[in-house]
Amino acid sequence: MAEPILQLKGVKSGYAGRLVLQGADFVAGKGELTAVIGPNGHGKSTLLKTISGIVRVSEGEISLKGKRLDTLRPDQVVAEGVIHVPQGDLLFPGMTIYENLMMGAYLTREAGSVAERLERVFTLLPKLKDRRNQVAGTLSGGERRMCGIGRGLMAGGEFLMLDEPSLGLAPIVIDQIYEVIFDLRHAGMSILLVEENAERIMDQADSIHLLDNGRFAWTGKGAELMARPEIVEAYLGA
Amino acid sequence: MDVVIQIIASGLTLGAMYAVATVGLSLVYGSLNMLNMAHGALLTLGGYMCYAAITHLGFHPIFGLVAAALVCALAGLAIYVFATLPLLRAENFETNIFIATIGIGAVIESLMLKSFGPYPIPQPLAVSGSVVIGNVHIPLQNIMILLTALVAMAAVALLLQKTRAGRAIRATSMSRDAAQLMGVRVGQIYAQVLALSGGLAAISGVMISSIATLTPVMGGDPMLKAFIICIVAGLGNVYGAVLAAIVLGLLEAATQYVLGVRWSFATLLLLVILVLIWRPYGLFGRQQVVRL
Repeated sequence: MAEPILQLKGVKSGYAGRLVLQGADFVAGKGELTAVIGPNGHGKSTLLKTISGIVRVSEGEISLKGKRLDTLRPDQVVAEGVIHVPQGDLLFPGMTIYENLMMGAYLTREAGSVAERLERVFTLLPKLKDRRNQVAGTLSGGERRMCGIGRGLMAGGEFLMLDEPSLGLAPIVIDQIYEVIFDLRHAGMSILLVEENAERIMDQADSIHLLDNGRFAWTGKGAELMARPEIVEAYLGA
Repeated sequence: MDVVIQIIASGLTLGAMYAVATVGLSLVYGSLNMLNMAHGALLTLGGYMCYAAITHLGFHPIFGLVAAALVCALAGLAIYVFATLPLLRAENFETNIFIATIGIGAVIESLMLKSFGPYPIPQPLAVSGSVVIGNVHIPLQNIMILLTALVAMAAVALLLQKTRAGRAIRATSMSRDAAQLMGVRVGQIYAQVLALSGGLAAISGVMISSIATLTPVMGGDPMLKAFIICIVAGLGNVYGAVLAAIVLGLLEAATQYVLGVRWSFATLLLLVILVLIWRPYGLFGRQQVVRL
């Protein structure tokens, strides 16, 4: 395994009175595609929200390249280089694509690097360039997803977290989105991917982690997961 | 024809004053989901501060207005630090802050009563003279109010549309979580919005008291109307609020002329009821449609 970039030790977190993550231990490798799979309602989205600081850690610790994240505010976590592309995109509906992308670069003050990143995002997701002046609330599902990912990339972080990027999209659009994700990974970005549909990422992910009831129940590679049909059947209903 | 000019002139003046009062209320609701019941008291505070700065401290009227805006911006900031911030950490924020700001408003109004007494005081920030259009005399005071309001609105629009801070305010009002994920420190945004809203309340209070007079309870009526305008426009929609304020100002002026002053408030209320039956989310309110 590559050197670790993100590390969780016994992390517990949740919402008012209900603990969702119940002692999660987890390591994501630098430059790798790490996938978290598992059934609905077992804490996958909460895991990402906890890392980005939206949900507070009640016990345990989270660190990025050895630096503690769990004591930071969400805006400080972003400043450390963690990008969270949330489930359902959460675009700013009244803003244009361009303004959404610019919000992604909110913490970057040098105009030069913002322009450079914008160029890169437009190269990776050319559709956004064509529609840059369209208001985000009027985009189709696939365009919204692309805008969400592009907005995340504008932050210029080194650790990208994607929450179910295939959710609610037509299969052909899902393929396009995953092509982009795999491109990013080959360009050397560290990616943490939450996905309900394990088959889609099995052969590409460097490691797969199964989240069950707020804890990691199994960790391994895609091929190993295929060799354990009972896991696939029990957790993912495939 | 003269009547129409008269109605348009007073309607625009009313609308301009309401617009400035409403924008602050709407901004705060849009970004924090906070109904600031102390907004009317901030208006009153602004009116008295301008008076005190000009009469007691000998400020030039323009600086009197600026001083009033600064004091009220600080008061808005104080509301953030002492009421909003602690209540945000607990549950039921929207109900709690609603009640808390009623209390803050009462405290501010009582302070004004104690310091300046219950009797009406004229606002020294006034210009005399008038312009004649047709056979109608339009006081320069009204024109000054309209211009001040236009400048204030233009400044707010510029801030929201063109600056980094303004973009962050809009982003926070559209999606707080997403704004945080972009690195926006939402606490700072809330503080900025409350300070801005306080400053706008002061400007509005000075304008209103320059046409009426200063009394400790002068904020109540404009705040009620600002709420009506907010609801008609759709809570939290700033640009809709400006438009609705001007339309309602014109409507109020027309009602006062045609039916008499006592009907003007009833007409406004009737209009709110009709709007809420027809479009419960307000004329320009967000009706969220999510496409997958």
